[in-house]
Amino acid sequence: MAAAVAPEVSQWEFSCDLEVDYESEENASIVYAALVVDKELQPDKVKRQMSVVNGKLLVHFEAVEARFLRASFSAFVDVLTLATKTIEQFGQGMEL
Amino acid sequence: MKKMIALGFEGSANKIGVGVVTLDGNILSNPRHTYITPPGHGFLPRETAQHHLEHILPLVKSALKTAGITPDEIDCLCYTKGPGMGAPLQVSAVVVRVLSQLWKKPIVAVNHCVAHIEMGRIVTGAEDPVVLYVSGGNTQVIAYSEGRYRIFGETIDIAVGNCLDRFARVLTLSNDPSPGYNIEQLAKKGEKFIDIPYVVKGMDVSFSGILSYIEATATEKLNNNECTPADLCYSLQETLFAMLVEITERAMAHCDKKDILIVGGVGCNERLQEMMRIMCSERGGKLFATDDRYCIDNGAMIAYTGLLAFAHGSSTPLEESTFTQRFRTDEVHAIWREKEDSGCKNGIMEKA
Repeated sequence: MAAAVAPEVSQWEFSCDLEVDYESEENASIVYAALVVDKELQPDKVKRQMSVVNGKLLVHFEAVEARFLRASFSAFVDVLTLATKTIEQFGQGMEL
Repeated sequence: MKKMIALGFEGSANKIGVGVVTLDGNILSNPRHTYITPPGHGFLPRETAQHHLEHILPLVKSALKTAGITPDEIDCLCYTKGPGMGAPLQVSAVVVRVLSQLWKKPIVAVNHCVAHIEMGRIVTGAEDPVVLYVSGGNTQVIAYSEGRYRIFGETIDIAVGNCLDRFARVLTLSNDPSPGYNIEQLAKKGEKFIDIPYVVKGMDVSFSGILSYIEATATEKLNNNECTPADLCYSLQETLFAMLVEITERAMAHCDKKDILIVGGVGCNERLQEMMRIMCSERGGKLFATDDRYCIDNGAMIAYTGLLAFAHGSSTPLEESTFTQRFRTDEVHAIWREKEDSGCKNGIMEKA
């Protein structure tokens, strides 16, 4: 029975990790909550797991092909940057 | 009582806009920025999203500043849930999710098509019209009935605005301020009418065959000096708009409604408005249309529609604040209109 589960592991051959240190549990959680809403568009090709630890946002990507990993990572970094900039510009002490 | 205020975000196509409105429809600010591609090119999802990423935060600042409000005064944050292009839609959704947490404000997801209708109604004062919604991505004839905006007719392939935009690319007309505007201006100089297929199927229309036809004909006729680009623009507009007038008139007869409201980007076309006005006046009704400030995608329309829903008790939890490329007009339960209806019924009962 256990042997049947094993081949699945090799399918997600490509992976990478991203770590962003917000030095704030609150800010890291805000970004987490904003980005966890959008699921990966091709869950059979790319997986994304996120967590918040000690004010850091940790993101782990796994994909079946390098190009899916690249596309997913790149799109994620764009919205991550946007969410971070939004906190910087509209968070506490914002000036209009 | 303090007036309710909403901040709205629109970014489903090549415009990114942020607007501030009050519940009575007063627009306090409505800045937007348009992604304009070089002549001969359309806008693609990824590049459009990059454009939105660049402009959205300055637009938020500008909207708040012009409106003269602080985040504290806002009651809800509204964004376009769909329909539209995925990547550009995500930009507004992400900013709204972050702001909602920073400012502790509720979120309201809004249907883009319904927002066009509500904006058109509040700006023109049209109460219960047949709505022609024509833009680069949508072509629908809509009427309200029993809690929803029902689609009576629509395109079975591409939108009328997409047909015009893509023909503008064939002629390499400028995309500034919009390809449709430049077609409209050129069409005014057209003298010769060229026969083009006219494709109405029951209550629906089809534009993709017309586009293929005119794309092929244009090159040939222009090379042989048989007509001018202006003649082609004129003939294309007359044909497309006649089709829209036909299905709109049929919907009016079917629903027994006298007035028409035109919304969406193609709705600023004055020739379309003129043709529709003639048909309307023959039926003893009125045409309601708006100019480019409200017709074209903007943040205020999203803010206003979201605020209507919010004032009637509807909001979207953060975890459910997704976006979707497909989101039909009739999926939305227009709770704010049901209250209007029951208001009317009470009025009638009082009179009796």
